[in-house]
Amino acid sequence: MSQSKSGGAIGPFHSIAEAAGCVQVSDWLILTLVFLACLGGYHIHFMLTAGDWDFWVDWKDRRMWPTVVPILGVTFAAASQAFWWENFRLPFGATFVVLGLLIGEWINRYVNFWGWTYFPINEVFPSALIVPALWLDIVLLLSGSYMITAIVGSLGWGLLFYPNNWPVIAAFHQATDQNGQLMTLADLIGFHFVRTSMPEYIRIVERGTLRTFGKDVVPVAAFFSGFVSMLVYFLWWFMGKWYSTTKIIAKV
Amino acid sequence: MKTSIFETLARLATRRVAQLMALGMAAAVVATMGAIAPAEAHGEKSQQAFLRMRTLNWYDFKWSKTSINVNEEMVLEGKVHIFSAWPQAVANPRISFLNPGEPGPVLVRTAQYFGDQFAPRSVSLVPGKDYAFHINLKGRRAGRWHVHAQINVEGGGPIVGPGQWIEIKGDMADFKDPITLLDGTTVDLETYGIGRIYAWHMPWLIAGAAWILYWFFKKGIIASYLRVAEGREEQAVNDNDRRIGAIVLAVTILVTIVAYAMTNSAFPRTIPLQAGLLKPLTPIETEGTAGVGPKQVTVDLKGGVYKVPGRELTINVEVANKTDEPIRLGEYTAAGLRFLNPDVFTTKPDFPDYLLADRGVSVDPAPIAPGETKTIVVKIQDARWDIERLSDLAYDTDSQIGGLVFFFTPSGKRYAAEIGGPVIPKFVAGDMP
Ligand SMILES: [Cu+2]
Repeated sequence: MSQSKSGGAIGPFHSIAEAAGCVQVSDWLILTLVFLACLGGYHIHFMLTAGDWDFWVDWKDRRMWPTVVPILGVTFAAASQAFWWENFRLPFGATFVVLGLLIGEWINRYVNFWGWTYFPINEVFPSALIVPALWLDIVLLLSGSYMITAIVGSLGWGLLFYPNNWPVIAAFHQATDQNGQLMTLADLIGFHFVRTSMPEYIRIVERGTLRTFGKDVVPVAAFFSGFVSMLVYFLWWFMGKWYSTTKIIAKV
Repeated sequence: MKTSIFETLARLATRRVAQLMALGMAAAVVATMGAIAPAEAHGEKSQQAFLRMRTLNWYDFKWSKTSINVNEEMVLEGKVHIFSAWPQAVANPRISFLNPGEPGPVLVRTAQYFGDQFAPRSVSLVPGKDYAFHINLKGRRAGRWHVHAQINVEGGGPIVGPGQWIEIKGDMADFKDPITLLDGTTVDLETYGIGRIYAWHMPWLIAGAAWILYWFFKKGIIASYLRVAEGREEQAVNDNDRRIGAIVLAVTILVTIVAYAMTNSAFPRTIPLQAGLLKPLTPIETEGTAGVGPKQVTVDLKGGVYKVPGRELTINVEVANKTDEPIRLGEYTAAGLRFLNPDVFTTKPDFPDYLLADRGVSVDPAPIAPGETKTIVVKIQDARWDIERLSDLAYDTDSQIGGLVFFFTPSGKRYAAEIGGPVIPKFVAGDMP
């Protein structure tokens, strides 16, 4: 592209402008198509695995939610990083899929959960994930190493999850006295806005433990989540590396 | 105009075929809708008959209103007998949860009680005992909705009680759900925190999109691919890129920390989600409840025959009257259905018609004297056996019936007794043996 600045014919194109235009259009097409594919795939994966923890405000507890959601979420983030970093050295793999997931989730929550079934948004909003994703991307950008990203990045991914969500969740963990029974607003929202097919006992949430560190629930959960995320990260980095293809781009 | 006879015939034939096809399609649509509609209203019908009869026996159901406005309250109350011979196929109801069965949150549940105990979480139900419950509901979304009570059993599933159509008038936009927090402030649960959710989530989505677009515009995709493919590592990621990354990371972490601290000062006292089994319930102990007190009626099923084509159950029941009054059998109830003896129920009670067989029971009119033990023949017959699919009992893995029978005294007292045991189906029409 650099050899003919004056606008002579290059390759199959009549001018640099045309070539650049074509490249730009292709770039947009690739970005959009890959984004939609990631949105669909990640969203289905997330609904099937993190499902109820991500759907309902009264599943967003101190123990299971910050453990499960990052572990299940790091999967596509790692694979997407492998794809965008190995082939393009573009540092937005994790943010890219997470943004897709969140946009998909928000559409689902707004259109289906609220629009069709009338569950209020404060019962069905998704978990925030952009901050851990930016962390993962920037660790990879700064280190240039998937190994360091898997270790430092995944740990931070697990640790940042709860702080990233706390500004919203805290409001729903305020206490209320309901006929002599202590409930959080989150519990109460789940109780008021009836889900016929979801009995209370089905919630997989913290129910207490006799273990010694039973009181420091969030940090323990976050560290555990970070450690498991490391393993999952490795696995999915290689999934992303081996099973993604750039053949189409190579052809372009 | 010249049209051959063949052409006319062909045209007629084509029209015929088109008509037939249209008819077939319409039939298919109707058939599908027909299959969906009742299932939507009463999914419990597809559950096995013996399990519906031998788990929870619902009775004394009352819907305080069947037509309300948005924000107006109503109460669904009832009693439930936990069947003693709880079936092996369903986990014991040690962890159970009461729920209104409704299509989405059309009515909001503001409270629910077992006896006088508030029960927003799971409770233990003990086989053989009876519990009174009520659910306070508040109209939210206009429409006509079928509202049940149901109890879910962990390891088992939902067991659905009787349902009633509730009409809600008004506009959901007017719905309010005020709640007082522990610190005394009042919030509207319907909308609380939604502004905060958007204010926190949306800027991060924009930040994420900005991060992606920044690199997209700066580096391009195809150009980036070529840089990597041609091994131009230094151009692919340079020090300036890393500097940008470090700044964005620092800002992100800083915003997270500041927001975390601000949240903690805005909500200094928060508690974890509350979960776990509630304290043991107090069952109903009043006279007349099945198996309660010295004055009671006990029954023993001495075999029975279920005539499948006639929808007729004939059972031999040994009744021991340990009360001080003569008694007559007035009602048999199972799986939410009520079969009444018209000799005892002279007026039709207020109950959903699809579950009420007001002439469903016939029995020898002679009362059973106090202290007497007598075997009576009870005939239970109604089309609702079929419609509510209790007739499927003949094809269940355990051909045992269950339920409650109610006896009535001249002074108006009622004594309930649990009944259950095997019955033999008779698949061909004809006289009962
Ligand atoms: Cu129904």
